[in-house]
Amino acid sequence: MSTRRQGTTLFSAILILVATTVVVQLWLLSFSMEALLRHQFKSLAPAAIASTVLFFINGGLLRFVFRFDREVQRNTEG
Amino acid sequence: MISEIEKSNEVAGCTSCAKTPQYQQDFPIEWEGDHYVSRREMVKFLTLGSFLLALANWATAIAKGMIRKDSSAVVRLGPASDLAQNGAMLFRYPTPQDPCIAVRTQEGALVAYSQVCTHLSCAVVYDKSADQLVCPCHRGVFSVDRGAPVAGPPTRPLAKVKIEQRGDHIFATGLEV
Repeated sequence: MSTRRQGTTLFSAILILVATTVVVQLWLLSFSMEALLRHQFKSLAPAAIASTVLFFINGGLLRFVFRFDREVQRNTEG
Repeated sequence: MISEIEKSNEVAGCTSCAKTPQYQQDFPIEWEGDHYVSRREMVKFLTLGSFLLALANWATAIAKGMIRKDSSAVVRLGPASDLAQNGAMLFRYPTPQDPCIAVRTQEGALVAYSQVCTHLSCAVVYDKSADQLVCPCHRGVFSVDRGAPVAGPPTRPLAKVKIEQRGDHIFATGLEV
């Protein structure tokens, strides 16, 4: 399998992972809104923390994408 | 038309792409590379969305401080004779901007709720014949004994106003949100 094809597969996997976490974040937000309107405040902070953790996971994956690109560019130039 | 394409291919010396349209030869689409780039862009876009969602979640957590707390102000609503059995009375509690509805049920019990429908904030009214609180906007129905949603789009109960009769007068004594 060529490096380019490997990269495509890798980015597909990352995209699916990021999309899944964003869907989970959407669910967390709708859950939080519902809890807020029901005046059930206990679950708001844990939901916000969970959403932040998911964002950091996404950020980490995006950072990996940038590093991967840089490495591929360096290898191509070298 | 096809013969023109074939002719141009032959002129260009392309034997394998006899039926490839001219525009595809002029602007070749590298599908793999195209997907490669768009996926990367999508990851960036989704990460931005993820950041905004996390921010919105924190805004929700912080907004709880701005939500109105239970009120315990005592307000006289009027004489008890104004509220006949199986009748309703409108009042404002705890502030003049908060419409409420008091109902004396068919059994004679005195109950009161915020008049703001929990679906889209229309004013609920008392339906005497069905002994229910009804939102006319989207046909939301609330039970009169607990304020719980029983039909239509609302999913949350109405905010309950504590109400009591002292002598000949009715008083609102608190708000349960």
